[in-house]
Amino acid sequence: MSPDISIVVPLFNEEDSVRPMHATIVSAVEPLGVTFEIVFVDDGSTDKTVALVDEIARADPRVVLVKFRRNYGQTPAMAAGIAQASGEVIVTMDGDLQNDPADIGNLLQQIDAGYDIVVGWRHDRQDKLLSRKIPSRIANRLIAKVTGVPIRDNGCSLKAYRACLIKKIPLYSEMHRFIPAMASIAGPKIAEIKVRHHARRFGKSKYGLSRIYKVLLDLMVIKTVASFTARPLLWFSLLTVPMLAVATVAFGWTMAHFLSTGMLSLPIAGSGVIFLSSAIVLMASGALGELVYKLGDLREHEFSSLTGRPSAERLAVPRMTGPVSSTSVSPRP
Amino acid sequence: MTNAVRLTSSPCLSVIMPVGSRHAQDIAALVGEYRAGLDTLGTPYEFIIVLDGPKPAIAASVQRLLGPIGSGGNVTVISLTRPFGEATALMAGFQRAQGETIVTLPAYHQVEGSEVAKLVLGLASSDLAIGRRWPRVGSRFEVLRRNAFHRMIASVTGQAFHDLGCGARAMKRRVLEEISLYGDQHRFLPVLANRQGFRVVEVDLRQSPRDRYDRGYPVRDYVHRVLDIFTVFFLVRFTKKPLRFFGMVGASTFVIGAVLVAWLAIDRLVFLHPLADRPALLLSSLLVVLGMQLFALGLLGELIIFTHARDIKDYQIEAVIRYPHEPSMETSVPATVAMAEEHERDAAHTHAI
Repeated sequence: MSPDISIVVPLFNEEDSVRPMHATIVSAVEPLGVTFEIVFVDDGSTDKTVALVDEIARADPRVVLVKFRRNYGQTPAMAAGIAQASGEVIVTMDGDLQNDPADIGNLLQQIDAGYDIVVGWRHDRQDKLLSRKIPSRIANRLIAKVTGVPIRDNGCSLKAYRACLIKKIPLYSEMHRFIPAMASIAGPKIAEIKVRHHARRFGKSKYGLSRIYKVLLDLMVIKTVASFTARPLLWFSLLTVPMLAVATVAFGWTMAHFLSTGMLSLPIAGSGVIFLSSAIVLMASGALGELVYKLGDLREHEFSSLTGRPSAERLAVPRMTGPVSSTSVSPRP
Repeated sequence: MTNAVRLTSSPCLSVIMPVGSRHAQDIAALVGEYRAGLDTLGTPYEFIIVLDGPKPAIAASVQRLLGPIGSGGNVTVISLTRPFGEATALMAGFQRAQGETIVTLPAYHQVEGSEVAKLVLGLASSDLAIGRRWPRVGSRFEVLRRNAFHRMIASVTGQAFHDLGCGARAMKRRVLEEISLYGDQHRFLPVLANRQGFRVVEVDLRQSPRDRYDRGYPVRDYVHRVLDIFTVFFLVRFTKKPLRFFGMVGASTFVIGAVLVAWLAIDRLVFLHPLADRPALLLSSLLVVLGMQLFALGLLGELIIFTHARDIKDYQIEAVIRYPHEPSMETSVPATVAMAEEHERDAAHTHAI
């Protein structure tokens, strides 16, 4: 029997946080009257995290431990947890107690209201201003601008997804920050709600400033991939347009020059040849891309079927009382 | 013959010896040496000799080993129809292997037979123990060549190994179950294993006094090693992010070309130097075009990854621990599911393409 919700928590050397984490999740979710499981993913911890979770799991059968052989990073940890989760709704959160499990109820309420993805927004973030908040704000603006999914806080791990949707979204590299952007291929309904955010109680942050460069690159990849996967030939053909234009100009100039002076200019004619051949190779690459897409297991119609579902299919979650600021955002076309 | 082997009690140690083009004069004697070393462990083992390609002379000499030798060891001989390469031979041997521990041994004198036991003992604290011939003889040039190779590997993978060429390795069965080797990849088993999260240790083994290879290596071998380094470089660094690599190289090429074009344009428009007789134009357009091509290749790579991302798992789960729902049994055994990811092998293939 699969539970209603699965809470996925990646852990990396969080021996101090594990027990309070488990206790707060249980006390926050149990009153909601839903069945749930907690999937702890151990990302190759070197401290007592695994032993502690094992102890907890022994006492609480709702706890599942997924153990990595070594440290792989947050995205693989999330991906593994999501793959192992069996609930109909999957909630992800950080393992360092900065997210508050009390917000899970609010997230579920939004899922119940028909949203496919509910994203937490740490509106009063308890982090250092200069090194974390400002870079994060800039990055979020950028991500929103580029991906067209106007979420104010991509870095917040506290999110809820419909399992059938998130399990189909490819998660790799360091994409966990862009799950909503990745998922936007499927055109889901995304809601953003304010969540509480606590300062770090134990240990220190394991993610630094160096990731910004990677974020930017990943962002570019997502943008290009998301826009061209389904029609690589078209995309590559667009690339060839300037090349063909240059080639035409070069050839035209060569002809004109030859007709007027009777002399051939090798460099210019040669450049024309180079650009023309490159345009042809790019077209061929586009054709190859079509082949790759055909053989791949990713289908656009599959995505659209994920979000287009009869409205009767709703998860029964009791109504919560409390201040919920909800902003519905839909991806810009 | 294989059936006969299967019938006996399953050994806990399988020794695989791939015999390629380079091998000792007397394989049987070499096997005897190894066996003497393995016997000191006191565990039952099987010996699998894989002949990489038809080798009637060796096959005949090895046949003598098949008879009862005592000491409880079984010998299996597998003949491949054509030379496939050492890594493939290893995998062919592995398919017949039944032991929980797999030991691979070179078919020529590299380490002293009596040292093999040390390798197996090295597994106590690791998943893969690789031999390192130490102390080691060799001409100065050879030492230099060896160091250069290993330093390059270390700079690419960030893992310092000292003797990847040593064919003596001991590993737990899981290592070979999760890593599929082909071609010349047997050398990089430690690198690949480390990447999968296995613990790898180097064990110093005394070098066999007969480990001399005086003829020198053909140029082809050097080229292959350089290509190997390239392969490992891609396997380790850029299989998941092709655009990061191709995009970087492509963008820099593109920028150099574009700057050159801009300079030529200014030269033409401002200083009125005619463009028609400038070969630099060819160079710059070549660079611009090359940059775009590289970028396009990166995009293609990204497309391949993206459309197959759900098959390619870039992590290895060691165990999923789920305790059963009934709390009645106090000493309940955890339902530990060891995950042997079948997909991973396909992924490795995809990466190598």
